Amino acid sequence: MAEQKVIHTDILIIGGGTAGCMAAVEAKERSPKSSVTILEKAHVDRSGCLAGGMNAINAYINKGETVDRFVDYVRSDACGLIREDLVRTMAELFEYGVKRVEKWGLPILCDEKGDYIPRGRWNIKINGESLKPILARAARSAGAQIYNWIVVTNLLMDQDRVVGAVGFSLRSGALYVVQAKATIVATGGAAGLYRPNNVGDASHKTWYSPYNTGAGFAMGIRAGAEMTSFEMRYVALRTKDTIAPTGTIALGVSAPQINAKGERFMATRYADIGGDGAPTPYRTYGPLMEMKEGRGPVYLDTRGLSAEQTRALRAAYLDMYPSMVLYWAANGIDPAKVPIEVQTTEPYIVGGHCQSGYWVDVNRKTTLEGLYAAGDVSGGAPYKFVSGCWAEGVMAARAALDGMAQSPLPHVPESQIRLEEERAFAPLKRHLRHGVTPPDLEARLQKIMEQYAGGASTYYEMNEEMLGIARTHLAQLPTECEYLVASDLHQLMKAHEVIDRVDVAQVLVEHLSFRKETRWPSYQTRVDYPKRDDANWLKFVNSRRDKSGTIEMFTRPY
Amino acid sequence: MPVWIDPDLCNGCHGSRQPPCLRMCPGDLIVKDQTANKAYLKYPEDCWDCLPCVKVCPEEAIEFHLSYQFGAKGAKLIPHVHRTNDTITWELIDIHGAKETFTVPTKLIPVAIDEKIEEAEQAIDFSI
Ligand SMILES: Cc1cc2nc3c(=O)[nH]c(=O)nc-3n(C[C@H](O)[C@H](O)[C@H](O)COP(=O)(O)OP(=O)(O)OC[C@H]3O[C@@H](n4cnc5c(N)ncnc54)[C@H](O)[C@@H]3O)c2cc1C
Ligand code: SF4
Ligand code: SF4
Repeated sequence: MAEQKVIHTDILIIGGGTAGCMAAVEAKERSPKSSVTILEKAHVDRSGCLAGGMNAINAYINKGETVDRFVDYVRSDACGLIREDLVRTMAELFEYGVKRVEKWGLPILCDEKGDYIPRGRWNIKINGESLKPILARAARSAGAQIYNWIVVTNLLMDQDRVVGAVGFSLRSGALYVVQAKATIVATGGAAGLYRPNNVGDASHKTWYSPYNTGAGFAMGIRAGAEMTSFEMRYVALRTKDTIAPTGTIALGVSAPQINAKGERFMATRYADIGGDGAPTPYRTYGPLMEMKEGRGPVYLDTRGLSAEQTRALRAAYLDMYPSMVLYWAANGIDPAKVPIEVQTTEPYIVGGHCQSGYWVDVNRKTTLEGLYAAGDVSGGAPYKFVSGCWAEGVMAARAALDGMAQSPLPHVPESQIRLEEERAFAPLKRHLRHGVTPPDLEARLQKIMEQYAGGASTYYEMNEEMLGIARTHLAQLPTECEYLVASDLHQLMKAHEVIDRVDVAQVLVEHLSFRKETRWPSYQTRVDYPKRDDANWLKFVNSRRDKSGTIEMFTRPY
Repeated sequence: MPVWIDPDLCNGCHGSRQPPCLRMCPGDLIVKDQTANKAYLKYPEDCWDCLPCVKVCPEEAIEFHLSYQFGAKGAKLIPHVHRTNDTITWELIDIHGAKETFTVPTKLIPVAIDEKIEEAEQAIDFSI
């Protein structure tokens, strides 16, 4: 038996990232007497998506704009389908979150009048290199108990109610059993489901954090939570090789996309849906089709920028994606002279850009009693970004405080803890000479997803037959997980990352198969149902895995 | 290798068991060899290129490289963190040796040289 640490807390937050830190502060400020505990798999100072920093807040109601117009914009950007209640409530709290983080020390760029400087319609510019340490410090000063390097592996259940979580310490190997009156899951989205674009020592050079591996989705799936819209995957348009966000160029210096012939193809071929301002999936799909049809590579046309503009562009990347700047220097690229080549990424599941995640009510309560979700792990509200994650952290904290007051004391059978302990440490205890290592299983999973579930090499396209093969192959993997071996605690974490991704991938394939239309080209290109079909499919595709492991699919009305 | 810890410059943060580079890596990729008193990147293939390790090293012992597949050696990007005035100066040297610097405002949150972690001292060594 591993050493065991038992913690009792009022509110447990799983994942001390963007949403998690904000939830901790909100809970402590609203209810100073309540105990708030964060379990974080890395160190809160630099964990998750914000590790490298940020250079913009991508969702904000700028002067002259309104929440209504934001909701309209997000609806059209998501091709007609969103949870308006969720998008509206988050937008109403953008300012609340942003002002607090500014107070905690984040430099936000202002003009002479003291107004934030917009970058595009809904964004504002920041010097956010230290955004994550700023949030972590706020959570710490607010009095949250933070446990770093705890890899959470499962939720604790009292019948159908969530009453905490279990994890292990990456440092000591101790088992952490945290019993809570209310639990907030904030583990971010999932990278690593598909084969990465880059190889070798760059195989983790993905856009989304490679350390967010869908743990929160997987825990929920195993506990029977309802999930929504996994089929709205996120395939990002990013700079070639470095996979840096393109908004810095496209919005920062208004560079249009051009193909190899210099043609502004978005303006010509996609004029009817907004040209260069088309919904985000089309801004991935457009360039993809140029490449598929032999008119690639595709570029962002930065030629003719002034020396001052190129310098500002590089400075902006230093705040978020320094490798872009080094890449230009190493390849002798001057963005003022040559256009910047772009490519598309491996698909991710990210509830903050798209809307895949937990099905929640307007207060961010999941379908499981006692469990709330915030940030990229929560579904239904695309265009969330950092400010929306903060807003959801705030809402989840408020709802958790309310819910906690009414909840009875949890009862967790000892047998459940022992079972989870066994499951959590099993890969360490297997002494198989021919066991499966985490990288082996990851490669198997990624190969299946890449080739049959709409990976980059098939231009993200799929049909029923391909998805059927993916389903069959994936069905083997849960048993294969029983051969997983880990030589140390770091490898044990890697083992759980792949176990979690297998659970997520199975649900994802069912979602992709269920939606018989193409609503979000490139995110979800069904070649056998190539058209958007509002008459039949303007609704949410949801799922729930039952105790036997069967994934039940159903729809919810818009 | 995306980042490289220069063993001549790393002083192991003296006796620190959990030096800043190791703590701030979101992927848990850096370990410290306590006997040699040096930190090293144990899992280069899992590096995200996010640079907290580089920025927090008090000795500026960690070099930022591109994966070689992405571009020529020789170019350099070095952040100098000014712990007193909330700025970072990035020194950029391109493949032709041209130098440029960028000073960017930030908010510096001090990072301790060590951090006591519950139970870490009696950590079980599973390594083989
Ligand atoms: C490279 C990049 C650039 C971006 N740029 C911008 C930008 O400029 N502006 C903007 O508004 N948005 C930007 N975004 C989007 C934004 O950063 C994310 O939407 C947001 O940070 C997600 O917040 P989160 O709390 O859901 O996830 P995170 O902040 O990633 O937090 C998740 C946390 O959960 C932890 N965790 C995961 N699994 C476990 C587990 N099993 N046990 C314990 N802990 C676990 C992780 O370590 C992490 O700390 C960017 C995203 C990326 C990846
Ligand atoms: S922070 Fe720098 S000096 Fe300290 S151990 Fe790490 S590499 Fe060495
Ligand atoms: S660059 Fe990021 S992922 Fe790579 S070693 Fe440094 S902190 Fe870790």
